[in-house]
Amino acid sequence: MSLRIGIPRALYYYRYFPFWETFFETLGFEVVVSRPSHRGLIEEGFKFADDDTCIPMKMVFAHTIDIKDRIDLLFLPRLLSVDGKTCSCPRLAGLPEMLKYSIPRLPTILAPYVDERYRNSTLFRSFSQMASALGKRSKEIKQAYQQAESTYQLIRKRMEGGENVPELFEKAGKKNLFSPKNDSGKKIAVVGHPYCLYDPYFNFDLLRILGEAQTSVYTQEMVPKEEIDSEIQGFGKDVYWDSGREILGASLYYLDSNQVDGLIYLTCFSCGVDSMIEPLVRHRVEENGKTLYLCLMIDEHTGATGVLTRMEAFIDLLERRRKRR
Amino acid sequence: MKLTVPYLGHIDIFLNAMARKIGPEFIFPPKTSSRTLLLGTKYSPESACLPFKFILGNFIEALEAGADTIAMITDHGPCRVGMYDVVMQQILKDLGFQFNWIVMDDTRILGDYLLRFNRERKRRGVSFWGSLQAIRFSWKKVRLCESIERMAHKMRPLEVGRGETTRVLTDSLRWIDEASSFRELDLVFHQCAERFNRIEKDSTRNPPKVLITGEAYMVINPHANQDIERRLGEMGVEVTRTVWFTTQITHALHLDLLNPKSKRKAIKASGPYLKHNLGGECNASIGYPILYKKEGYEGVIQLLPFGCMLEAVAKNILVRVSQEYDIPVLTFSLSENLSETMIDTRLSAFVDLLQKRRERSRSISSPIKGEGNNYE
Repeated sequence: MSLRIGIPRALYYYRYFPFWETFFETLGFEVVVSRPSHRGLIEEGFKFADDDTCIPMKMVFAHTIDIKDRIDLLFLPRLLSVDGKTCSCPRLAGLPEMLKYSIPRLPTILAPYVDERYRNSTLFRSFSQMASALGKRSKEIKQAYQQAESTYQLIRKRMEGGENVPELFEKAGKKNLFSPKNDSGKKIAVVGHPYCLYDPYFNFDLLRILGEAQTSVYTQEMVPKEEIDSEIQGFGKDVYWDSGREILGASLYYLDSNQVDGLIYLTCFSCGVDSMIEPLVRHRVEENGKTLYLCLMIDEHTGATGVLTRMEAFIDLLERRRKRR
Repeated sequence: MKLTVPYLGHIDIFLNAMARKIGPEFIFPPKTSSRTLLLGTKYSPESACLPFKFILGNFIEALEAGADTIAMITDHGPCRVGMYDVVMQQILKDLGFQFNWIVMDDTRILGDYLLRFNRERKRRGVSFWGSLQAIRFSWKKVRLCESIERMAHKMRPLEVGRGETTRVLTDSLRWIDEASSFRELDLVFHQCAERFNRIEKDSTRNPPKVLITGEAYMVINPHANQDIERRLGEMGVEVTRTVWFTTQITHALHLDLLNPKSKRKAIKASGPYLKHNLGGECNASIGYPILYKKEGYEGVIQLLPFGCMLEAVAKNILVRVSQEYDIPVLTFSLSENLSETMIDTRLSAFVDLLQKRRERSRSISSPIKGEGNNYE
């Protein structure tokens, strides 16, 4: 029987899952993903989580508890720097230890340390070290890595094309939920960390609400990387967080190119990255003066009704602005 | 140029000494008060951390007092202090202040700041030797300030008249700040030590020792941590802290190789618990309790601003360190809603716990020890 590797459906699952899945499955492991977030699962996990962290971190606790009895190994990569220039939120790097010391009876954690800024901890090296510790030969590993890389690039292309990430990951879904080609409707850009944007439990299915309101949704995944780089260069300060850089670059891109009518910044309570990036985006919106802006901060107590009401008001306002023009 | 900088321990004494010898003029923010925090909170982003709010409040007050140039440090992550400068500049500009902004980037020390310093020095007509002497003098001042603080930490739990040590400490710091030559400085330091010796004390007390660790700004600045050192001292606890102005500088310049309790050693000690150095004080906060436990420290207080990205990791891991090294840890996660009563209540409960642990270990260990001796 092959080893079962568990991946919590949280944090960078929403970005790199196709890569991880292909890598492990090509090597002959079985990949187990935790169930989609739901109330019972989350509340059980919050009991173990520390109160000084943000909800996405608490979600990891919840999803880990959900799968820990069904797996042999828990996969929690430490993605410190994936592109060699930026770094991730430091909480993510300390996550394996935080889980280890907080949750009892946890399976062994696989935590490859990825920091592309140093030569002995590149993505390939860390992953191959991890796989060879699991008894795989280097030829197999190389093959699996290449396959994972090409799958990821393919998926990434489709993300840029505007496909809904969770559905893309489920393999079954091919439906294009938000249709950016639809020029007649209202256009709204939604930015935020991938784990805020694509977890429908976390954001009360915000993307579906927007889709049902006949709007075209744009996310930061749809902005080409070169555009983000040039926007950040134009901004003057080199933002060193990977997600922060992406969010700021994408928002500036949408604002400068006047592509969208409205911008929604989705954030979670006590997020360190967003606390510094959000004021910068807001400032640019005020300077720009053309785009409608909404910062939606979500914490454990936010109710679905509250989010729905604010979304409806936002869409109504967009409508009214259009009519006045 | 009227320069202002954020508070970090005795940085005001350090820079004042330097300014008097070689310039430029410094305008320090008025002493941090509740107005400072109010201003900072009002204009900061809602979820910015507490140091951001304090520093912004300080800058606003300094600009009101006539400063025209702000020097602010920056960083390359992962702590958000590296983004402070962009956000702060934007907020201050929106408030209508006119100012120059100098970014202190540690990767540009050699290429930029030393050159700029040299240019300034020549412009002012200060000799190279003179500026070296000025730096040495200022450095000595800060070192003396810190040794006086250490004396106060030792003396406070023993004092008979409450508040005596704090009075002597305040006076001593002022005297040191006013001293203008090496000779005078030695004399003043001698007098300060004398005054500390004259404080009436009760030597029969055996105060428990507590270590204060955590995020640098919160640990080093009494205004940020609600004077936690004084509070603990007056509850009869001998304290020390992990972050000092001099240790921060020596660590940054790699000059602390010989110090047995340097940040480098603390980071090394944290290895078994957190393999990778995450930056900031995170690893040191885990390592210091291990180092100090061996010195006979009985408790640890961790200070972090609410929402701190790095210290939250340390907090979770300290729980395990606390169990394995048998040392109680009390964590304060501080936001702008500070309450003195809350701090006092939690501190006195912690001190009670330390006393109870002592009593218990005495009552358990003595008969067992006796038995062991019989067997030998």
